[in-house]
Amino acid sequence: MSRWGVIRLLVLLVVLLVPLRVSAQVNLSGDWSPRQHEDQPDRGPGPELGDYTGMPITDGARLYGDSWDASRLTIPEHQCKVHGSPYIYRGPLQVRIWEEKNLRTQEVVAIKHYISTYEQSRTIWMDGRPHPPEFAPHTWQGFSTGRWSGDILTVTTTHIKSEWFRRNGIPYSDRTTLIEHYIRHGDVMSHVTIATDPVNLTEPYIKSQEFVINPRPQGNWLWPCEYVEEVDRSKDEVPHYLPGQNSFVFEFAARHGIPVEATRGGAETMYPEYMKRLRTLATRDGAAK
Amino acid sequence: MKPVSILERVAPFAILLAALAVALATTNRAGEAQAPQPAQPAAGSGRAAAPVDLTGNWVAVITEDWQNRMVTPPRGDYESLPLTVEARKVADAWDVAKDEAAGLQCKPFGVGNIMRQPTRLRISWQDDQTLKIETDAGMQTRLLRFDKSAQASGEKTWQGNSIAEWETPGRGRAFFAGGGDLGRRSRGWQPRGGSLRVTTTNFREGYLRKNGVPYSENATVVEYFDLVPPLPNGEVWLVVATTVTDPRYLTEPFLTSSNFKKEPNGSKWNPTPCRTDAPLKGR
Repeated sequence: MSRWGVIRLLVLLVVLLVPLRVSAQVNLSGDWSPRQHEDQPDRGPGPELGDYTGMPITDGARLYGDSWDASRLTIPEHQCKVHGSPYIYRGPLQVRIWEEKNLRTQEVVAIKHYISTYEQSRTIWMDGRPHPPEFAPHTWQGFSTGRWSGDILTVTTTHIKSEWFRRNGIPYSDRTTLIEHYIRHGDVMSHVTIATDPVNLTEPYIKSQEFVINPRPQGNWLWPCEYVEEVDRSKDEVPHYLPGQNSFVFEFAARHGIPVEATRGGAETMYPEYMKRLRTLATRDGAAK
Repeated sequence: MKPVSILERVAPFAILLAALAVALATTNRAGEAQAPQPAQPAAGSGRAAAPVDLTGNWVAVITEDWQNRMVTPPRGDYESLPLTVEARKVADAWDVAKDEAAGLQCKPFGVGNIMRQPTRLRISWQDDQTLKIETDAGMQTRLLRFDKSAQASGEKTWQGNSIAEWETPGRGRAFFAGGGDLGRRSRGWQPRGGSLRVTTTNFREGYLRKNGVPYSENATVVEYFDLVPPLPNGEVWLVVATTVTDPRYLTEPFLTSSNFKKEPNGSKWNPTPCRTDAPLKGR
């Protein structure tokens, strides 16, 4: 074999065997708008107090939800509190996604998100860097790394500040790990979130929501927030309910005729066999009336 | 003796390496498609081309729209649905007792809503060109046909006529852009994956929700079945994204995604006929 023949063969081998990673599997870039055809009351106006249905929560999380008082949001320190990554995509938001590339190699270094709600930004590192040590600071959106599995982008996020899974007080802790899957089919993107939280969840908690590409991204992309003194109260007062004193959490059950036990949530309420239990409870409640 | 250059020395090894790489890649791809299958599928069939294995036992995990799926919402509750005026009139006139009397108990279990039901799925290959989905809720059977020439029968059914096709990342593109299967495996990545796209037509009119919100027999249902990478705890999830378009009852495409967790066996399979409970409370 001639010298040039060998060189050509080696070049061919390099092209074939060395992963170039010059582009992502599918491009998620663009401005995306949500379709709230699922869970609209939960995601739009917000859930009712005491609605924990379909949530695999611990007793502690339930107690926290019962103790939570919506008036807490009037405290100046909480008025501009943002939604963290396990929840923020559920709200009425717009998302802009783009890739940041190494100009020299054209490798995707990171996938960036700008989220209109609370003007939040996320960086999903695609360069293989590790997550920081456990003692590193926690933020609302956490530290995210991503990788492709076929055309599905899977993102793992840690170092998230504690906030809520549902806007009626059910919390997630700062030990939460969030795994997301971004699945694009044409102009529709499914965003799947699976949260694990050893403090507040007994099982992984899955949610999914749909976004549609928006070629004319008008509307509000800003979220100016300035806190004011809304309520005249002592500086050390935090609105809350002591255990057993929040009667409002049972209004949801009464309003919808759903057995109270079911509204209290727990992993069993997520599965089809719970319908049998619901029928039993409904019959019992009906007889009691 | 003629002097041998370094390039000439390494050439045989390079060729051997290339041959090994091609052989490995071929073996891996074949393994992905064939491992879960007990018999050798016919070349070119939907089963042979499967980039992911959807077969097995799955359970719907109801963390969304709980009030519309686990219980029957009140008549007239069609919040968040993009309905036409005509659809609202139909929904407002819904009467569960009338449906039962007319033998239409399966209207909420039709293809437009079956994946939203609290149900278990049993997915298997009926033959090399037909993927079968059975539900225990409503005891429905869906046949997803990979033979595009399969014509719909004249009679409309609850599950209609479903044509399936695999959508995979371009093999060549994946190989070059992401390191290919070989490159991914070397980093512990998942196989290249792929989606199942299913288009369904020729079905009977049914309900998008248990409380009589209608979809018409002229609607089209397009679904994507995506198997996402397993969780660290070993759980495997299937995401079914559904788009219903209906020129009669919907003002825009109706988008949902339903999530199913894999179960180790069918021990919880509990076939029950179509049944819709009366709403727990009216509004």
